[in-house]
Amino acid sequence: MDAFEAIKVTFFQECDELLAELESKLMLLEQGQTDLETINAVFRAVHSVKGGAGAFGLEALVRFAHVFETLMDELRAGRKPCDPVTIKTLLRASDVLADHVQAAQGLVPEVDEARSAGLVAEMELLTHGGEAPAPVVEEDEDDFGFTPMAFDMALDEPLAPLPEPASGWRIELRPHGRMYASANETGLLLRELGRLGPTTVVLDDSQLPALDALAVEEGWLAWTVELHAAVDEATVREVFDFVEADCDLTLTPLGAPAEADFVFEEEGPAVLPAGDDLDIAALLARVQGEAVAEPLAPLSAPEAAPAAAAAVPTPASTPAPAVASAPTAPAPVTIRVDLDRVDRLINAVGELVIQQAMLSQRVLESGLARSSGIALGLEDLELLTREIQDSVMAIRAQPVKSVFQRMPRLVREVADMTHKQVRLVTAGEDTEVDKTVVERLAEPITHMLRNAIDHGLETPAERLAAGKSPEGTVRLAALHRSGRIVIEISDDGRGINRERVKKIAVDKDLIAADAVLSDEQVDNLIFLPGFSTADAVSDISGRGVGMDVVKRSIHALGGRISISSAPGKGSTFTLSLPLTLAVLDGMVTTAAEQTLIAPLPAIVESLTPQAADLHHVGGLDPVIRFRDTYVPVVDVALVMGFRDAPMDPTQGIAVIVETESGQRAALLLDAIQGQRQVVIKSLETNYQQVEGVAAATILGDGRVALILDVDTLVAIRRSGVRSDFKLAS
Amino acid sequence: MSDAAPVVLTLSPVLDLTAAEPLKAELLAHRGRVLVVDASGVERLGGLCLQVLLSALSLWRQDEINLRLAYPSDSFSEQWAAFGAPAFDSEGALA
Repeated sequence: MDAFEAIKVTFFQECDELLAELESKLMLLEQGQTDLETINAVFRAVHSVKGGAGAFGLEALVRFAHVFETLMDELRAGRKPCDPVTIKTLLRASDVLADHVQAAQGLVPEVDEARSAGLVAEMELLTHGGEAPAPVVEEDEDDFGFTPMAFDMALDEPLAPLPEPASGWRIELRPHGRMYASANETGLLLRELGRLGPTTVVLDDSQLPALDALAVEEGWLAWTVELHAAVDEATVREVFDFVEADCDLTLTPLGAPAEADFVFEEEGPAVLPAGDDLDIAALLARVQGEAVAEPLAPLSAPEAAPAAAAAVPTPASTPAPAVASAPTAPAPVTIRVDLDRVDRLINAVGELVIQQAMLSQRVLESGLARSSGIALGLEDLELLTREIQDSVMAIRAQPVKSVFQRMPRLVREVADMTHKQVRLVTAGEDTEVDKTVVERLAEPITHMLRNAIDHGLETPAERLAAGKSPEGTVRLAALHRSGRIVIEISDDGRGINRERVKKIAVDKDLIAADAVLSDEQVDNLIFLPGFSTADAVSDISGRGVGMDVVKRSIHALGGRISISSAPGKGSTFTLSLPLTLAVLDGMVTTAAEQTLIAPLPAIVESLTPQAADLHHVGGLDPVIRFRDTYVPVVDVALVMGFRDAPMDPTQGIAVIVETESGQRAALLLDAIQGQRQVVIKSLETNYQQVEGVAAATILGDGRVALILDVDTLVAIRRSGVRSDFKLAS
Repeated sequence: MSDAAPVVLTLSPVLDLTAAEPLKAELLAHRGRVLVVDASGVERLGGLCLQVLLSALSLWRQDEINLRLAYPSDSFSEQWAAFGAPAFDSEGALA
C-alpha cells in the first residue's frame, strides 16, 4: 500500500469514528438535548468528514456533507430551530452520509442517488426556508457569482457598537512537503478560499530550483492570496484546519481600521450574491442571530460560548486581527496500532502464562519449600504475569458503543418498512468487551432487533387496541455480570405466541404432537434450525436465517442466549458472552482421571456431599440439599462418557454452579486441584466441537485439559440425552 | 537550439503527489530536446506536479530550448489559473 492509500485508509478509519460520534450526538438531539454543545459536535463531525473527503477529491461525499454542514451551521447560529422535524431529517442525512462514506470506500457499489438528492433538497429547504440556496454553496470555484459589499452597521441602531469589518484578508501560504505527503493539496485550499469570496492569487516560484536539482516531494512554491470578503479570521483559518501545522501561514487583514477597538469575534454575511435583492430585515436578523465564529477544534475541544451571548461584540484593547484559537482541552493521547501486533502480543503473553504455570509446577514437583526464595519469586512473577495479561487484554477491550451506534439507523429503517412506530432505548454503551466479541456481536444483535420490531412489536393500531402507546419500545442494554458481558434485547410487544410456535414446531416435525413442554421449552423452540414463524419470508427478518443461526454464532463466541416472554407484554432475549476469548479463570478439577476446568464465574461454591443430603427423585441422578433447596447432581465423568457407571457422590466433591438462566446444579467431580487462570485454546479450531466442552487449555505439565460448558452439561443432565435437539424423540 | 525533432510528452490524467517524481524523470529524459507537453488529457493537477512543470519550463528556458505546454484541457487550464501560474497564450500554449 502506497503512502497515499495508507492515509486514505486512516481517513476512512477516522470517518467511522466521526460517523459514530455524529450518530450519538444526533441521538442526544432526538432525546431533547438540543444545547449548543451537542449541535456544535454534530457540526464538527460533519465538517471533519467533509474536510478529509475534500483532500481525497471525493466530490459526491463533499457535496452532500457541505449541504449537511450548512444546515448545521444555521442550527448552531440559532437561525433555524432544532425542532423534531429537522432532527429527523438530520438522522436520515447521517445515514446517507454514512452511505456516501461507504461508497467512497468502495464497500457499497453506489449511493441511492434518489434518496441522497431527496435529503439534499430537504436540508436545503430547512436551511433556506424554501428559498433558493445562496450561491455561496455552489461548487464552481471560478464563478463566484457575487461581489463583496460592506455592510453598513449604521443602519442598525441596536447593533451600533458592532465593529466595522475588515474588507478582506491577505493570506500568505507556503506549503511544506509534508502537507502534500499527507494528501492535502494547495489547489483545494485555494478553491476553499475562493468559496469565501473573490480572490486574487499570486504565485511565487522564486525559490523553485531547476528541474535537475528539484526535490519533488518538497514544497518550493508560495502563494499570496487576497481574499476580498469581510469574513472573520477564524473562518479563513478554518480552510487550513487540517494543514496549518504543515505550512507557513500568515493572515493579514486588508483595509482593517487603523484604530480598531474590537476583536472580530463575528462578522455578518457581508458578501452577498450579486443581483439578489438586499433584504435588510433578513440581513439584520441574520447578523443578530450569528453565533460566535469558533475555530473548528478537535472532537474533544470545549465548545464556544452560547449563541445568545454572541451578538454583542467584546471590546478589547488589542487591535483587530487578534482572534486566537479557542483553548483546547488536552485530548487523550492515542496511537493507532495494527491489530496483528496486539494479537501477537496477546499470544506471547498467553504463552508466558502457560510457561509460568509450567515453571510453578516444576518447582512444586521439586519439593522446594513454599517459603523458599524461588517459590516466593515465582509468586511475584505470577502476580506480574497476571498484571501484564490484564493490561494486554485491556488493549483489546472496546466499548460496545461501536455496535450499539449502528442500531438506531437499523431501527429507523425497519420501522419505516413495517410501518411501526419504534423507540430505541440503549443503555450501557460504554460496557467494554474484547474487540473480537464486539465485532461478532453486530450480526446477532442486528438480527434480533429486526425480529423484535418485525415480529415482536404490534402495529400502532394493534397497540392502541391493546391499550398501549402506539409507539413501541425496543431496549438494547449491555452490562457486566459475573465476569461476563450480558446483552439484553427486549421489546414491549405482543410476546411470543406459544400456541403458534408449538403448532409450527409440530407441523415441521420438530416436536411430537403430544409433547408436553414448559413455557420456557416452547419459547426455546424458536432456536431450532429452520424454525421460522414468519408466514412469508420478509425482507426484514432475512431469508430463512433464523434464530438458530443467531444461537450458533453466540455459541461460537462461548456465549449463550436465553429468552423470556410474557404474552401481551413483550419478550427479552439475553445474550451472555465472555469478556475475552483469550483467558479464563477456572477451577482445575479431576473426574475419572481427566483434568477438567470449571469456569470460575459459574461456580457458586463447592462442598463434600453427605449421604444425608442426597436424595434420589425418580431418575438415576440424585439431588443434593444445598442451602434449604435441592439441586440436581450432574455426574460429570458419566455425562462426558469418561465412566460407564455413576460414582458414589459421597466419595467426590460437589461443585455448585449456576447457569446463565439462573438454574443451579451440583457438578460431581473426583477432586479439586486448585484455581488457575488458563489460556483458552479453541477446541473447534484444533479438533472439533464437543458437547459439554467449551474449549481447552494447556496445563503447566503440558497436558491438555478440557474447559467445561456448564450450561450444556446441566441441560444434558436434565434432558437425559446428549443433544440439544432431541425433543421430537 | 537542438536540431532534433520535437518530442511530444503526453501528461497523465491525474497529476497528484504520486505522479510528480515520474513526471520529473520523464521530463529530464528529454532534456536537450524541443518538447511539447500535451496537457489535453489532464483532469487533476496537484501542487507538486505544478512545481515540476514550472521548473521544467525554467530549465528549458535556461537551456534556450523550446518547451511548450500545449493543448491544455479545460480542467488543466482552470487549475493552472487557480494556482496563479502564468497564463497561456492565445493559441493555448505556454512556452
